[in-house]
Amino acid sequence: MKQTISSKLVGLLAVGALLTFSGCETETETRTVDAKGPQAINTSAINSQDWANAADQLINSLLSSGALNNAPRTPAILAVDRVINNTTMMVDTDLLIKKIRVALTNTGKINITNTMGLGERAVVASEAAELDEMQSGKKAKILVPDYTLYAKLIQQTDKNGKIAQNTYSFQMSLVAVKTGLTVWEEEKQIAKQTRGPGTVGW
Amino acid sequence: MKTILHPVRFAGSLLAAGAVLVFSGCANNVNTYERAESQAAPNYIADKRVITDNTLAGTVRVVSINQSTVSGNLLKIQATVENLRSSQRTVNYKFEWIDQDGMALDSANETWKSLPLQGRESTTISTVAVSPRAVDFKLKFRE
Repeated sequence: MKQTISSKLVGLLAVGALLTFSGCETETETRTVDAKGPQAINTSAINSQDWANAADQLINSLLSSGALNNAPRTPAILAVDRVINNTTMMVDTDLLIKKIRVALTNTGKINITNTMGLGERAVVASEAAELDEMQSGKKAKILVPDYTLYAKLIQQTDKNGKIAQNTYSFQMSLVAVKTGLTVWEEEKQIAKQTRGPGTVGW
Repeated sequence: MKTILHPVRFAGSLLAAGAVLVFSGCANNVNTYERAESQAAPNYIADKRVITDNTLAGTVRVVSINQSTVSGNLLKIQATVENLRSSQRTVNYKFEWIDQDGMALDSANETWKSLPLQGRESTTISTVAVSPRAVDFKLKFRE
């Protein structure tokens, strides 16, 4: 008799457990969020919001500096130089540079040349220019850039107990080609602290 | 040996602990000093406010908004914001631009940005329109 009661109890517990755990089971859900908004997943790395913020701060600084007021022509021609990534992350630097390019082009003060510089765009543009030369028999007139844009990403990691801080520096310089002088440069930083498990408070 | 805590001493200790907690809560407040008579002549603009979150409006206040033109024809907006609380608060803000025809100008760089403010701190936030077509703006806040 005792055995029957205990087997019933075990059975009940098993059913209860089954119901409980099946209740906890959730299906994979995906939602669309603003990639540049506060809902973007925050990690110790550079997330989509950080790229947008860095680009925005750099653009604001460049446009507020008045450096483009003394351009030899409007729109001035800009060639994008190297972007050095000195972080531990494998990142596509176009996440920053494309935003800068789009913003500068929208101002109407800058045209970006693709016949110089690095990357796929430059190769295709050069090939197109060569093809044009072959077909027309005339030497293609390539505009010499007035400015070059150089950028560097740096990561510094500091640790204090269970708190780690990654400080990302976004450095950018605009160089006048004729003089070789830097007409604008800026450094913006984003610092991200990550707290280890079991840490209370910051 | 058993220590017996005197009620008066116990109450005193409690008060002292409370005072420490209260004053340490103010430790993040910001004291600010500036020129008594400002030499700057900002171009302040009249603003219209639509408040849908009273809690947020009671936390962070937009003190003033001024504008200028940079790089020849690009509008720059600067807002002075103040934390009305005595503790650190973080709010998110975003600027949006509007052209002459009232159409919103999409700007990839105008995003929600996080703004940490120390207790009673005043600071400025600013942005530059990347299009010369921008004539108006909207500044949004959220928690």
